[in-house]
Amino acid sequence: MARSKRITVVGCVLVLSLALGTASAEVVVIVSAQSPVSALTRAQLADIYLGRSNRLPNGDPVVPIDQAFGSAAHDLFYRDYIGRSTALIKAHWSRLIFTGRGQPPKAVPNDSATAEIVAENPNTIGYVDSGHVDIRLRIVPIE
Amino acid sequence: MQGKQSVAVMVALLLHATAAGAQATETPNLLFNGFGTVGVIHSDEDQADFVPNIFASDGAGHTRDWSFEVDSRLGLQLTTNLTPRLSGVVQVVAEQRHDDSYSPLVEWANFKFDITPDWSVRAGRIVLPIFMVSEYRKVGYAIPWVRPPVEVYRLVPVGSNDGIDVTYRTHFGEATNTLSGNYGRKDVTTASGGKVRARDGVTVTDTLERGPLTLFAGYTRTRVTIEEAQPLFDAIVQFGPQGAALAERYDADGKHLEIMRVGARYDPGDWFVMGEWARSSSRTFIGDKRAWYLTGGYRFGSVTPYITLARARVETVTSDPGLAVAGLPPPRAAQAAALNATLNRLLGSAPEQQSLSLGVRWDFARNFALKVQFDHLNLDAGSAGVLVNEQPGFRRGGTASLFSATVDFVF
Repeated sequence: MARSKRITVVGCVLVLSLALGTASAEVVVIVSAQSPVSALTRAQLADIYLGRSNRLPNGDPVVPIDQAFGSAAHDLFYRDYIGRSTALIKAHWSRLIFTGRGQPPKAVPNDSATAEIVAENPNTIGYVDSGHVDIRLRIVPIE
Repeated sequence: MQGKQSVAVMVALLLHATAAGAQATETPNLLFNGFGTVGVIHSDEDQADFVPNIFASDGAGHTRDWSFEVDSRLGLQLTTNLTPRLSGVVQVVAEQRHDDSYSPLVEWANFKFDITPDWSVRAGRIVLPIFMVSEYRKVGYAIPWVRPPVEVYRLVPVGSNDGIDVTYRTHFGEATNTLSGNYGRKDVTTASGGKVRARDGVTVTDTLERGPLTLFAGYTRTRVTIEEAQPLFDAIVQFGPQGAALAERYDADGKHLEIMRVGARYDPGDWFVMGEWARSSSRTFIGDKRAWYLTGGYRFGSVTPYITLARARVETVTSDPGLAVAGLPPPRAAQAAALNATLNRLLGSAPEQQSLSLGVRWDFARNFALKVQFDHLNLDAGSAGVLVNEQPGFRRGGTASLFSATVDFVF
């Protein structure tokens, strides 16, 4: 009995730490704490990041901040939120660039650079590993 | 010549405007991008050529067993954002031309002004959205195939035109609608050195996007003149009322050419299907044509096999009795027979074929894609299909197989 309880406890700790580990590797969408954005749909987020819209649902202008192609956050964000591989995203932007319709969002090197820019610019939106969210930022639920 | 000058002027304007703007605000910037394809193609039909476009004089098959020229090209682009609402773009493309040279041509050179976030106007050289991928048909990396299906995309060989366009975007729910109108003109030089002139061209397109679904419809009307055919019809009208009637029916001397098309694409990410249908009509020797294609692919990670079915048909006559030879004095009769033969060569050159294409795209490195494609062309009876440069041993109405391999890149 005692032994099986101990195993259960160890098991729970393991599961918990795994869950925490997964959570800290999760990419979240962020805005400045001063931003009016409360939530976005997946389609609205995709429109902003794929150059189809430069405004928030309430009509305010928005500037998306991207991370470097090939970074872990970039791969996860486009796979989990936009549903496209990075090669497809590259092909998408090739279509816009070479028809004079737009340029991809400004890309910054990493999570901390994204957090800094988004914290200081309430009209921006970005994505970071959830471990980089601080008091100046707010996580945007994506419905 | 004119092309080169306009590039130089446009680049100078962009550089000047960028330098001036850089002092005023922090918006202006100059962006440099490029794309290209290195491709090789083999055709098993050695008595005719498969060419990159209808203006090229030779290609794969008869002229070259394996050709590096058909699909290879390089494009370079400068973009500048002068203010948040005003931008300029110049793109030059080097590829095989009608005279076999690779002199770069200006594909795009225009300024775009966003009146509001949803209204924009452009002026300058603009590639027309004739079909769904027309505007970026030369950017191999941006399209699923080695080349857009020739049955549909060669209905309208003229890509860019000089003029203005207006675009209006509306959002409702999760859908975005883009309505666009263009007015312009264009001259193109064909393989024989003659010019094709398009004037008073009006193009209206509408694109509706909702999630993975895109619906497209377009209409174009232009006046077309084909210089190459003028001596033929000038001679035909010398034969009195019957000659005048033939010229009225077949000459391309500023008559209207209309193109209607619809298309749809569904691309949820892991797979895609896409199709387009088009009709071009005119009271000229070009005649009335119909074409469609249907394509689809599945993305296994970075590897995307795809399949395409396509068809091109001519609805109007592909031959005509021409001038009545009977009763004419012998020298006139011989001349009439020669003119009839030339007219029928024009009418019979319209491609009628169907094709099945199988291919694989492999995104093997960032900004690079490798494609391998096999095309089986089934030419309609009496037609050479899209093949040109027919040799005495060529048999119309047969089949031809093409094998292509390309590496596409963007930077």
